[in-house]
Amino acid sequence: MTRWGMAIDVRRCVGCQTCTIACKQEHGLPADTAWRFVADCEVGEYPDVRRLFLPMQCMHCAEPPCVPVCPTGASRQRDDGIVWVQYDACVGCGYCAMACPYQARHLIQTPAGYFESPTPSEVAQARPERHGVMTKCTFCKERVDEGLARRLRPGIDADATPVCALACIAGAIVFGDLDDAASQVSRLAANSRAQVLMPECGTEPRVYYLAD
Amino acid sequence: MATTMTTPRMEMIPAPPQSLWGWPAVANFALGGLGAGWYVVAVLAAALERAPGVTAASWAAPVLVLAGFAAVAAEAGRPRRGLRVLARVRTSWMSRELLIGIVFVLLVVADLAFPLRLHRLLAMGAAVLLAVAQGFIVRRARGVTAWDVPLVPLLFVLSGLLSGAGAFLLVEVVAGRAPIPAVVAPVLMLIVVTYVVWIRYLAWSAEDAYRRAVAPLRERRAALVIDVAGYGLPLLLGLLALAAPAVAGPLVAPAGALLVAGQVYAKAGLILAAGRLRPITLTIALSKRRSS
Repeated sequence: MTRWGMAIDVRRCVGCQTCTIACKQEHGLPADTAWRFVADCEVGEYPDVRRLFLPMQCMHCAEPPCVPVCPTGASRQRDDGIVWVQYDACVGCGYCAMACPYQARHLIQTPAGYFESPTPSEVAQARPERHGVMTKCTFCKERVDEGLARRLRPGIDADATPVCALACIAGAIVFGDLDDAASQVSRLAANSRAQVLMPECGTEPRVYYLAD
Repeated sequence: MATTMTTPRMEMIPAPPQSLWGWPAVANFALGGLGAGWYVVAVLAAALERAPGVTAASWAAPVLVLAGFAAVAAEAGRPRRGLRVLARVRTSWMSRELLIGIVFVLLVVADLAFPLRLHRLLAMGAAVLLAVAQGFIVRRARGVTAWDVPLVPLLFVLSGLLSGAGAFLLVEVVAGRAPIPAVVAPVLMLIVVTYVVWIRYLAWSAEDAYRRAVAPLRERRAALVIDVAGYGLPLLLGLLALAAPAVAGPLVAPAGALLVAGQVYAKAGLILAAGRLRPITLTIALSKRRSS
């Protein structure tokens, strides 16, 4: 059984936001929407202060609280663990965003452009089916699925790997099959420094963070 | 200089206010609770018989509930897909709320057309379930610190009943029907019970994120409107009405209006002011320098 997951080494992350931009470009997201971002955090108290970059995205939880609350069934979870939104079934009520502890869901109301009128690129990437509905990180499931169809290995072969992991200049983001003991992501997830965000929420995230 | 290591859970990203549920959502929760509570109180006050107070509630409650649904539908990104909301009754309290609301309206309409005690009994049950469903909608919003609290469904039921009792008393007085002590006394007890639950809710958790989230509900203005005007004054006016039945009407009518206003304000505060998402936390090692 495949169980897609991710490991993010915050010790490597330099906060360049390349993953953020790569995601926005790959998915043609409007100006005011980002499915992932890198938070610039200051932790500790003077003089013991540290600066730390925390990439944030959907955690593709094993127990996603966003799925059962969805009144239309648009919020779904695949057998391989990817949590996604079926746009044509979503009513845009925002309930999933309220249920998500990770601030990972985004309603695209009126898609904002960067200028007064849409650029040719924005016109080419317009996705009207996403207007007025909830959107989120999909683990680039189209890339993963197409890659698998071509017998590629997600997390190893570039064409089958989520663009954030591919674009990361520091190699801080690793994608792969958590059920494959030999995969890099499962080894990182098993590291004693690996942790998930807010385990007290009981959501069993599939994104692991490696921190000091 | 020596160094010690600590590994506390650090707040990495502060809790932003939720921005998707605004006044339309407040209208849904406030009007739905008010309509359901009004109907329940009216039917109980008439001991399931068909009294003028029940007739008034039977006309008003469905309108209030449907107005709440219409308001929240206007807030959705794709309101034309509204009927799809019924698709997940097994798991989603939002689906259940809509289904129960429809059943409630149909039962009340059936009772207006064919008056039966059974209709009123079933409609009353649906009204209570509607308030329960609204409470669980908020309770299951695990991303919002001040909503993911086990007391919230009970609070919503009591709040709905209290605002409904306020509307019932107000309309009874305006219609020239003097409120009887047998109705006023239970309402006063309801005020006390609801206030106890409200205070318990505000103090539910000592976690910093929770205390910050509910802080707007404890501020001076909120305390004046909710605690003083929404609970204290109606309680005082009700007690005076019991002590002086001759002037009960002029005392109970403003008490009823204050009960409605107080509960609407409290729900608005809970959804809008206290509706902050969870702060993102991470456990990290911190080095602590100390003099040696």
